[in-house]
Amino acid sequence: MKSCLTFWRKWGGNMRKSFLLVRANIRKAKGQTAAIVVLIFLAALMLNLWLMLSTDYKQNFKRYHDRLNAEHVILAADEDNGKMRGFLEQTVENDERTEEFSIDPAMHMVGLFEYNGGEMNSELIILEKEKALSRPVGKIEIVEDSKNKSGIYMPLLYKSDEIAVGKTIDIFVGSNKMSYTVCGFFNSIMAGSHNCTLCEIILTEDKYEELKGTGYAPEASFLSVRIKDKSESEEYEAMLKNAVSSRYPSIRTASNSYGIVSQSRYISQMICAGIMSAMAFFILLIAVVVIASNIMNYIQENMKNLGALKAVGYTGGQLILSFHLQFLSISLIAAATGAGASYLLFPFVNTMMISQTGIPYRVRFLIIPFILTLIILSGAVFLAVWLSSRRIKRIEPVVALRQGVRTHNFKRNLIPLEKTEAPLHLALALKTAFSGIRHNVTVCITMLVLSLVLVFSGLMMENVIVNITPFLNLIIGEMADSCIDVNEEAEERFYREMSADERVERIYLYSSAEVRHVGGIALVATMCDDFSKVNNKKSVFEGRFPKYDNEIAVAAKYAGEKGLEIGDEITITAEGKQGKYIISGFTQISNNLGKDCLFTRAGYERLGELKNASYYINLADGNDISVFNSEIKERFGDDVNATIDIRATIDGGSSVYVSLMTIIVIAVLVLSMVVITFVLYLLVRTMLGNKKRDYGILKALGFTTGQLILQTALSFMPAVVLSAVVGVSACGFLINPLTAVFLRNIGIVKCTFNVPVGFNILAGLGLIVFTFLIACLLSLRIRKIAPRMLLAGE
Amino acid sequence: MKKIILKADNLSKSFSSGGALQHVLRNIDLELYEGDFTVIMGASGAGKSTLLYALSGMDTPTLGTIRFGDRVISDLNQDELAVFRRAHCGFVFQQIYLIDGMSVMDNILAAGLLVSKDKKALLRRADNLFEAVGIPGETQKKFPTQISGGEAQRAGIVRGLINNPEILFADEPTGALNSKTGLEVLDTLTRFNEQGQGVVMVTHDMRSARRGNRILYLKDGVILDECNLGKYVHGDKERHEKLSDFLAEMGW
Repeated sequence: MKSCLTFWRKWGGNMRKSFLLVRANIRKAKGQTAAIVVLIFLAALMLNLWLMLSTDYKQNFKRYHDRLNAEHVILAADEDNGKMRGFLEQTVENDERTEEFSIDPAMHMVGLFEYNGGEMNSELIILEKEKALSRPVGKIEIVEDSKNKSGIYMPLLYKSDEIAVGKTIDIFVGSNKMSYTVCGFFNSIMAGSHNCTLCEIILTEDKYEELKGTGYAPEASFLSVRIKDKSESEEYEAMLKNAVSSRYPSIRTASNSYGIVSQSRYISQMICAGIMSAMAFFILLIAVVVIASNIMNYIQENMKNLGALKAVGYTGGQLILSFHLQFLSISLIAAATGAGASYLLFPFVNTMMISQTGIPYRVRFLIIPFILTLIILSGAVFLAVWLSSRRIKRIEPVVALRQGVRTHNFKRNLIPLEKTEAPLHLALALKTAFSGIRHNVTVCITMLVLSLVLVFSGLMMENVIVNITPFLNLIIGEMADSCIDVNEEAEERFYREMSADERVERIYLYSSAEVRHVGGIALVATMCDDFSKVNNKKSVFEGRFPKYDNEIAVAAKYAGEKGLEIGDEITITAEGKQGKYIISGFTQISNNLGKDCLFTRAGYERLGELKNASYYINLADGNDISVFNSEIKERFGDDVNATIDIRATIDGGSSVYVSLMTIIVIAVLVLSMVVITFVLYLLVRTMLGNKKRDYGILKALGFTTGQLILQTALSFMPAVVLSAVVGVSACGFLINPLTAVFLRNIGIVKCTFNVPVGFNILAGLGLIVFTFLIACLLSLRIRKIAPRMLLAGE
Repeated sequence: MKKIILKADNLSKSFSSGGALQHVLRNIDLELYEGDFTVIMGASGAGKSTLLYALSGMDTPTLGTIRFGDRVISDLNQDELAVFRRAHCGFVFQQIYLIDGMSVMDNILAAGLLVSKDKKALLRRADNLFEAVGIPGETQKKFPTQISGGEAQRAGIVRGLINNPEILFADEPTGALNSKTGLEVLDTLTRFNEQGQGVVMVTHDMRSARRGNRILYLKDGVILDECNLGKYVHGDKERHEKLSDFLAEMGW
């Protein structure tokens, strides 16, 4: 008992002593403390946002899915009669993986409507309102309603200035236009976005019956299935699709699965979270380096004081503890504030994300990300403090008191003034630069990180904001001007006439179907009659496109998971047939999340017949795509199932990516400027503190304030210029592989973005000039150093 | 008739300390002459160093005018004063104040290159000065903390003289040195003065003061009186007695 009391008394004494030191240190270095607080604050803000986005935000999909008792697989088959329903019912009942299901009447068509300044073209599943609300599996949830009793309910994703309650929306099916008053918005987990392949729209009973009467949209059986193990959703979907196509080869179907939808609706969230995590860890790295540098500098500059403290009885452990207390307390306060502040930013991020996912998310306090943020940040700070303050234990009081301040490296005079050809101020700046290794290391790490951020921003500007084509090439795979879906019977005539049409620059088959890798999973197959005609030659980034009917190009992500190599032979099955194919190359199209493959037409037809062929058309300059599409629809009538203005569709879908990326780029650039300003603030302030005496001497000798400011700013330049040049050049080479790491989840293995060399050079120069100007600005404090201080011995 | 190079009229300097105004220099009128070795003496707190710093443009007076030749320097701003100092003044400090991060030679050249664009001529002058103060080439390459206090102060004198100033201001140049090295420094200053270099030195050490030809005695911010000793001759007892009498009269 006595020894226990002694222990706690001793511990209390130690803590009290350490607290005294902490208070003294913080009071003495208010500016430095404030700068470190800002860095930790920013790191915590980004870290907490990232953790919230990557944990709970993703869980939101699951929560909604469970709450609405949503399906794991949906399928629309373009026939609604007892026979079809009976077949579907029997098929799912016979499969032991089925938990529950619902089959309801619907209409299924490819339709388009205006959205975000472009067109949204999607497979639409049209349901009657009451039916949609009462389905036992896969029911919808109305999230905004109005008093209008007749009209349309749209998925929440499309809520915008143009598509709002009370406004009229025009939906086109071929050349038929249907106008509806928007009554409200709903949430559908599995079919609430064009990213889901199938997009539900809900009509009030009168409008539903009216559309049904026109015969514009084929009636369909809409099947929603919940299965016991959702990880098997893609397999189940493939089974279902194969069953229908085997039994009803001429029936058009569309389907999706939990596995695909849960990822495809969150592509933006994954990209955003990836960028936030990178920024958070970059800022944390800088903060940790700054703290370590600060402590080492403090030890160097306060050797005498530390020696004196040891002489009066403080132990090395107490002094180190005081550093831990000092930095951990300010880090925890800053981290908690930063994590708290992220809740102010999160509603804004949430709005952006909802416009991408279409699934509402209620912002609320999340304890786990908050605690994780505090643990990660305080852990990093603890490590930095521990590593940088260990040498205190080795300081002997007598030696410390005798040696006092020793800040310079006396081994070599690297820039002797009698020999150098450099101008005086540059030479003196270089002397300062070469004497401060810690400053240089801090500057280099900061500049390298910021170079990476700049190069990444340039990459996103060039490939998303200025010209989104390279980004879309990765996401979508292939783009042309027009896509026309024709019936099998009219295909030959269509191709012949299009080939002869002088408005058509190029026409090629580009159709999709579903196949299955034997021993693997279901894959989205794209077939083309001649891959040399495709616009995006980069979609096969390794090897080559299939040329012969026994060749296949497979998704690199899937190939990696299965250990498949170019030249390997794999077995593919579809429509009850099997075929062996040699892998000719690797593809990457994130729309299919790394689960796709390419065939030649002849290659696919070894397995099954192509029912409705989609042709991609590039028009000659000066031709209006919508006029061309209308004319084709008119000429071929019912033989053309759908015409799609791909450019307009892309404009509609891509504007959200452009605005998202613009916001991200602006945010990271502003953040970078804030970070470099605070890092420089710390370094300049430390330098001015250390060199106050030197500046006083130089002023006494006749150096002006301007000359000393110039010298100070120039002294940072060797490290700044070197690291900016190395950073921008290296990042220019590494940025594509690094970006691919972030995009691997969505099936991108090798990024092929254009690296904007000109922008990178300008950005590097801009970074150097900005750093120089900020260093000059921060050095203005030199004005306050007067030579009179020498008299006072300050 | 000696030429006046620096003239102070009604020079006052006050500091605010804890809300109270402290008058360190009061209405001083003073003329400094070309080639003189002027010594400012007085007890601690008399305002000796403050006067030296005000006269040299290191600090600005609260009231009064200081003219250097035809130019009023008391009206100049800090940067103009810096330009004035580098061209016309040299400084030797009690704490020596060489920059630790630079070699001895670099300390001298940093001051020299600020004024002279002719590096070769500057190096020649530096060599001559180093030779005159007895600092060998090897020592010139060392850093201030690697040399003795005496060597450092002699290097300080070289730095003060590198730009050929009209006046070398020395603030207690032997204050931080032992008697032997202090004597070496005084000998150096005397030698340069004999070659025509004007020196203004603050000291409270009678042995140092003896080197001057003009002694000003400062008390409570006012020059009480001055004593002309004439040219310094080593071992001149009469000179010593004259100074002793003067200081005794001043209440030293």
